[in-house]
Amino acid sequence: MNEKLAISVDDLTVAYNYKPVLWDIDLEVPEGVLMAIVGPNGAGKSTLIKSILGIIKPIAGSISIFGKPYDKQRKLVAYVPQKGSVDWDFPTTALDVVLMGTYGSLGWIKRPGQKEKKAALEALEKVGMLSFKSRQISQLSGGQQQRIFLARALVQNASIYFMDEPFQGVDATTEIAIINILKELRKAGKTLVVVHHDLQTVPEYFDWVTFLNVKKIATGPVKDIFNDDNLTKTYGINYKVAVNK
Amino acid sequence: MSNPQLEIQLIAAIVAVACAIPGVFLVLRKMALISDAISHSILPGIVIGFFITQDLNSPLLILFAALTGVITVILVEVIQKTGLVKEDTAIGLVFPTMFSIGVILIAKNANDIHLDVDAVLLGELAFAPFDRMLISGMDMGPKSLWVMGGVLLVSITLLILFFKELKVSTFDVGLSSALGFSPVVLHYGLMSVSSITIVGAFDAVGAILVVALMIAPAATAYLLTNDLKRMLVLSVVFGVFSAIAGYWLAHLLDASISGSMTTVLGIVFLLVYLLAPKKGLISVLYRQKQQRTEVSLITFLLHLNNHSEKSERHINHLQEHINWQKVRSKSVVDLALKNNMITIDNNIVSLTKKGKEFTGKALDYILTNRDDKIENIKDDFFLFRG
Repeated sequence: MNEKLAISVDDLTVAYNYKPVLWDIDLEVPEGVLMAIVGPNGAGKSTLIKSILGIIKPIAGSISIFGKPYDKQRKLVAYVPQKGSVDWDFPTTALDVVLMGTYGSLGWIKRPGQKEKKAALEALEKVGMLSFKSRQISQLSGGQQQRIFLARALVQNASIYFMDEPFQGVDATTEIAIINILKELRKAGKTLVVVHHDLQTVPEYFDWVTFLNVKKIATGPVKDIFNDDNLTKTYGINYKVAVNK
Repeated sequence: MSNPQLEIQLIAAIVAVACAIPGVFLVLRKMALISDAISHSILPGIVIGFFITQDLNSPLLILFAALTGVITVILVEVIQKTGLVKEDTAIGLVFPTMFSIGVILIAKNANDIHLDVDAVLLGELAFAPFDRMLISGMDMGPKSLWVMGGVLLVSITLLILFFKELKVSTFDVGLSSALGFSPVVLHYGLMSVSSITIVGAFDAVGAILVVALMIAPAATAYLLTNDLKRMLVLSVVFGVFSAIAGYWLAHLLDASISGSMTTVLGIVFLLVYLLAPKKGLISVLYRQKQQRTEVSLITFLLHLNNHSEKSERHINHLQEHINWQKVRSKSVVDLALKNNMITIDNNIVSLTKKGKEFTGKALDYILTNRDDKIENIKDDFFLFRG
């Protein structure tokens, strides 16, 4: 494991209408891990990601990506929002959505050209969606839409990937395809932070885990901390999950 | 065609184009009602601006009134953010208040200023050619042509420069923000352009009809295309068509030009809503009927596939067994025959080789839900086109 810190969160507190959603979070994510964020509904998992990405303004705390504020490191970071957060009836094609991933490196005003298009096509191929490139996005299944979102993140060619429930509403084939791509990215030295719901698959898919429920419960390697004790602390009920120790 | 006639049509067309462009983004952002709010709330801005400038076409007045439009948007957001009322209620609270302030201001000063409530609501294109742009005594054409031309130029320039940014922030606010394209900046940019456009168009088409010019062309184009650029182009085409056609309809009926333009917009939308090839009502109903028949066909073929004994495959038995009415049974059997999927021998129905293959593929698709299983049969049947 590389000792460099990919993400460092200090004393982060976020509130909606004075109700704290995240409370005094300290979190350090080493480079090169494939990390799950788990916790019950309303635990602030999406909010944590959105705060790191500057989409939500926290009321306290600081965040750094490889030692610098997010504003300076934008190009090192890719983001896959929840599939349900966008309108899939928007008049656009699969290829065009993937091209949006290149907008960040282009900056304001400049348009994507041949180079960006080529990168987008490659990303589509990687997720097995090349033959759907001209398909209107509402004509894609849930799993295909998720793959398009993944391709859009791949095209950003980032060092850190944030993904908000990438397995939500996808079939088993797509889930395996997606996790294989995530594992490949980790092998290539990338850092991945994934909001995840299915506790059963945590030991199989991830090597790092953060338990979150408004406060941070625990963070560390799956083999050390993914146990009934932490699950119970996070979910508040007595949890029994078969964990290989 | 006389010169003023041509000028009126030109102004109408330019107003339509200028409205259609921001209209597309308002429709896609589900903010159509905001244009209604802005168009009403700019009234006090226009009246106060008129007190100061004494000229309805002054650029200063336009900026001043547009600012009122942006303030309206901010007020709506502030009220909505309290969490006490929803957005539509907030809109309903803000714009009538602003509008009535404008109405009171006009009534109190009716003797001094050249503005009445009728003109504010409906506009009057027919008078536009009377107000000329004079530069050192030379006639440069109607003033409102210059004003709207200027607004349109600004709008198109911004659209070309920030097309990519507008697209990503409209489709995916989270990504837009993460990539560094501030959704707040883009939102208020769009609101400012919408406000300026509405103020510019106000004089010609009035506070109510300007909403139709923003929303109807975009809504019509939305039914016809899956591409944002094409949607913009189509909106412009519908807008210009309705402007010109509306002018001549008004000419024919001796009625209000803006009213006729809006009527044409409504008719065009209705026609497209009924006739659009994919999303149109008729095509949707036709497709649903086809799909019902095809589901029946597959049910029928599966039944044949599952039963080798003759008694189960007798044509009368099929009718009783599957429990369909005569017409439906006949159309299903005809469809299967037409596609060479069955043969009927002595009233006993048998699957052909093609029929068996089709049934197998359909089964695979139903069981695995994977598209590659049915690539070949997709073209013949609606059902698999998703």
